[in-house]
Amino acid sequence: MFGWIFYSLIAAFLWGIVGVLQKLGANRISEASLLVWLMAGLALILPWLLMTAELNTADTSGVIIGLLGGVTNGLGVWSLLAAFKNGAKASLAVPLTALNPLFTILLAILILGEKLTTLQWLGVTMALLSGVLIASETKST
Amino acid sequence: MFNDKWLLYSLSCFFWWGIFGFLSKLGATRLSPEQMQVLFTFGTLPPVLAAWFHGGAKVDRDLTGMVYGGLMGLLGGLGEVAYFRALEVGNASLVGPVTSLFPALTVVLAVVFLKERTNWRQGIGILLALVSIFILSL
Repeated sequence: MFGWIFYSLIAAFLWGIVGVLQKLGANRISEASLLVWLMAGLALILPWLLMTAELNTADTSGVIIGLLGGVTNGLGVWSLLAAFKNGAKASLAVPLTALNPLFTILLAILILGEKLTTLQWLGVTMALLSGVLIASETKST
Repeated sequence: MFNDKWLLYSLSCFFWWGIFGFLSKLGATRLSPEQMQVLFTFGTLPPVLAAWFHGGAKVDRDLTGMVYGGLMGLLGGLGEVAYFRALEVGNASLVGPVTSLFPALTVVLAVVFLKERTNWRQGIGILLALVSIFILSL
């Protein structure tokens, strides 16, 4: 059984490749169009997921939370697109939104009672700072 | 303070994605990663479609662009399954920051394959990402 860090790094690895594809795709089609084709790609794995997910065993509260998770993610995407449409500079908006795990941490500590050790706090702080620095793409090309 | 609409929208994005991370943790303790991903996909669709309609409902049909977009969805979706699996066994306050390190790999891949250049801040950011992964894996 692999631990949380293994699966987290798998997710980060796949999303890292998605970031490159976004750069490549945005050179050919608009961001909004890219989003539509992204949803089409997301739908491609639905048959496999539906075969393995056994949705009938899911409890109602879980279903509502899962759907709301999708809605909040979609609203985040919409907000980011709206920010760019209203003149946001990527060098400011992207680092700001990259700090979103801060809000998750706050909620997880306050509501779920999660606790971090001093060493983990150090790692989390470095990870968040790293996200902000990496997102500063002002003169990268 | 909020005269700049872009700032308001950026903060809105920060808020919604922060809530998303929290709900993902709540859901991952009740459902399997596959179940979460199905529900997540259906939940994401309405706001994304609304954003698309709001933006004029145009779709570019450049084949290469379509393939890039499709692959983004495919790999992004598989990444989300791994993300929900990580949340099933780990704290949201740890999984969130580690998975949000993905731009570090994007920058490295862009340097290697797209011949992009990095700035010094990104270089420090990548170094910090590696150190933070090491610390959090202890």
